[in-house]
Amino acid sequence: MTKTFLSPPIARILGIAGAVLAIVAAMLPWTTFVLNKGAWPDKATLQFFDAPFALTGFRWELFLVGIVALVCSVVKVPAQRRVLRGLGFGVAAIGLVNFLFITAEGGGLGAVTAADGASAFGSVAALVAGGLLILGTFGQPLEEIPRWKTNLPTPVEYLGLLVSFAVLLYVVSLTLTAGGQGGAANPYSGPMFLSFLGFGGGLMAAAAGLGILRWISKLSEKHRAFSIIVLLLCAFLLPFTNAGTEYWMTVAANIGVYAATAIGLNIVVGLAGLLDLGYVAFLGIGAFVAANLSGAAASSLGIHLPFYLVVIISAAIAGIFGAVVGSPTLRVRGDYLAIVTLAFGEIFQIAARNNIGGLTGGSNSIPNIPPLQWFDGTAYNESITLFGTPLPSGVLYYFLIVVLIAAVMAVFANLKNSRMGRAWIAIREDEDAARAMGIKTGKAKILAFLCGAVLAGIAGAVFAHKTSTVGYESFLFMESVTLLAAVILGGMGSIPGAVLGASLLFVLPEKLRAFSDYRLLIFGLALILIMRFRPQGLIPDRHRRAELAGEDAEGHTLAETPGDEPEQPRPQEVPAR
Amino acid sequence: MTTLLQQLVYGLILGGTVGLIALGYTMVYGIVQLINFAHGEIFMVGAFGALATFTWVIPEGVKGTWYITLPLMVIAGAVVSMVLALIIERLAYKPLRNAPRLAPLITALGVSVALKEAVRLWYPGATAPLPFPKAFLAGNIDIGPVVFPKTGLLLIVVTIVLTTLLQIYINKSRMGRAMRATAQDPDVARLMGINPDRTIVLTFAIGAVLAGVAGVLYGIHLTNISIDIGFQNGIFAFTAAVLGGIGSIRGAVIGGFIIGLVKTIAGQYLPGGTQYDYVWIFVVLIAVLVFRPQGLFGETERVRA
Repeated sequence: MTKTFLSPPIARILGIAGAVLAIVAAMLPWTTFVLNKGAWPDKATLQFFDAPFALTGFRWELFLVGIVALVCSVVKVPAQRRVLRGLGFGVAAIGLVNFLFITAEGGGLGAVTAADGASAFGSVAALVAGGLLILGTFGQPLEEIPRWKTNLPTPVEYLGLLVSFAVLLYVVSLTLTAGGQGGAANPYSGPMFLSFLGFGGGLMAAAAGLGILRWISKLSEKHRAFSIIVLLLCAFLLPFTNAGTEYWMTVAANIGVYAATAIGLNIVVGLAGLLDLGYVAFLGIGAFVAANLSGAAASSLGIHLPFYLVVIISAAIAGIFGAVVGSPTLRVRGDYLAIVTLAFGEIFQIAARNNIGGLTGGSNSIPNIPPLQWFDGTAYNESITLFGTPLPSGVLYYFLIVVLIAAVMAVFANLKNSRMGRAWIAIREDEDAARAMGIKTGKAKILAFLCGAVLAGIAGAVFAHKTSTVGYESFLFMESVTLLAAVILGGMGSIPGAVLGASLLFVLPEKLRAFSDYRLLIFGLALILIMRFRPQGLIPDRHRRAELAGEDAEGHTLAETPGDEPEQPRPQEVPAR
Repeated sequence: MTTLLQQLVYGLILGGTVGLIALGYTMVYGIVQLINFAHGEIFMVGAFGALATFTWVIPEGVKGTWYITLPLMVIAGAVVSMVLALIIERLAYKPLRNAPRLAPLITALGVSVALKEAVRLWYPGATAPLPFPKAFLAGNIDIGPVVFPKTGLLLIVVTIVLTTLLQIYINKSRMGRAMRATAQDPDVARLMGINPDRTIVLTFAIGAVLAGVAGVLYGIHLTNISIDIGFQNGIFAFTAAVLGGIGSIRGAVIGGFIIGLVKTIAGQYLPGGTQYDYVWIFVVLIAVLVFRPQGLFGETERVRA
């Protein structure tokens, strides 16, 4: 990154050229002929390419990024190269996604270049534009991320936060609905979603380069209570946006269950540093307990308890199992512990598959679990009207899960800052040293497993009612790995990280149904790449960031991050209060 | 009695497979302290490599002659496994040599998932179990009422022979000494003029070759393979390695046989039957880890490699 093989003026020209080319690319046709599944979206197919300036969809997104890039490369903005590089990656991503998809669907390069005397170079132009933008930033080393003032008058800061969170709500809604619901009517929802991710990611990277993201996170740390209330409010407002259809609410609720579970796993893995490869078993235990106590016809117990009791019982039973699974931690460490947890997870799965005690339904699952009921008897899967707005069915589950996640987050945050949380972190860093400092490591470790299991058990109880069918297939080893991957992808020990990780890992398969066959392959490769290039995750915890991206005890540089942020800890950083 | 003896035979056959795979786990863990989750998949890919060789390379005329096809398939399986393991080591594990312990473990999980999926997606017909040629003498040796499949006998004999050879190689040869030294202390080994990287690569290669051979013989014995054989047998093999004491060659193989016997005998006599036979293996694993983490031979046999 520090090589200066380009002189600044040339780099500047490259940047401007890249930005202009991106704008041009948005106005070019992208496909020479109509693909078998239908014309490429947003009138990007040559035949339908009648109005180059009427941009929609991904071409509009590309155009926007191009304009921003042009402005940023002409006008002097802070951290210019960082911003341009982020935008460049966005442009390249949009170009690459469309290039690959059209090539694959159209059966060759003819579809994206020239065929039958017609030419459509949109995606190639976008790729080149992205390359130019990125190349232009190699001229000089990247700048420091600017630091913005965080001692403004309180109302101004509140306003800043409000606007930021409103934008966040809008972005979440856009992301959920981007590309639309996949299916026969909309065969290209996958690439359109990925294009949108490229667009959003590019703008986010630019915002991060400008220091805006850091400013927002500083502000929200400063006004903690206010931010939490506003964030909750935003979460409750999501059904009122475009994402408020039954389908998206179901997707959001599913993500929510796994996000809550991932936060629970984060206690075990992220805080206490104990690798758990069978964690999904606790979600399963919670779900099966709730299923058996729900009055479902298939349950052999035939007991129907009110939901709040069910949640408590699920949590308690999952917690007991958590303590049992955690008990070997007294004697077993590190990798061996991972194997013990894997073994417990497999035992659970085999037991559930064989319908142990008639409690799990075996391969028949436990179907027809009745939905939860609101106090006035409204079932949670009915549609409701709130403030005069009709909301789709499933929205009540969404609200319930938002509350669940908020509660789990609160538990996690308090635990993390408690005496026990500090003990966990100490154990994670060095178990022997922690013991020498007087921490009862055995008790602390079992408690970590217990807390994680309780959270998963609660999530499981909600899961059972939400999906209405609980079977062992939902709790296989791969689910444990996926949850672990969510924690790692987001950043171990970090709450927003776990939510982001779970969202990505459970939204992407939903969006890329056309590639469901390749899901696990991509997933496996992604695990390898994350560990190689960004082991600290997308939103690293502050301690963790210093630890994983800095140097380890032996002085080896651990992670050469691509460097969208200087990762070194900054001891001189004093919070402006 | 007959049932018991019969189950013992089946247990020993399964144990032979598990033992061969376990050698790779135990050597790799002994030297780089990595639970190589991908090792089970390397075993699986070895079997598929041999099957591909049989299907597309070996000429139609000699397919029936087992003394030609068997060596060719074993070599093919071993080579495919070894090349794959070396690629994985170079691309996935080597860059993480000095990373925190969690990183390579998760990478290994990722490699395992990716390998399994790659075979499922790109090996023709691998979405379902595939028939595997019985490239050896068919039939059984009857010992009284107990039947001993000849392919199973081959598996056990090969396991014991290869283990003995490996033990001799590690104890006597120069490279074997280098492996033991690296396992004990890579830094001091480096000072003694040993190239740890080369030693690690060799360890991965030997482990993969053994897994590849195991994959081929396993396929020949059961006459069908699927993409799921890797994960399952990999877990068994890891259990065997732990049971025998990580780092111990002898322990891995004996552990393998014990695991095989536990599975078949528990499936026959313990409550739950074959539906729960896996559970007993995991119970053994947990019990060993909790009560004797050094395994059966972990302490008596100090030599690791």
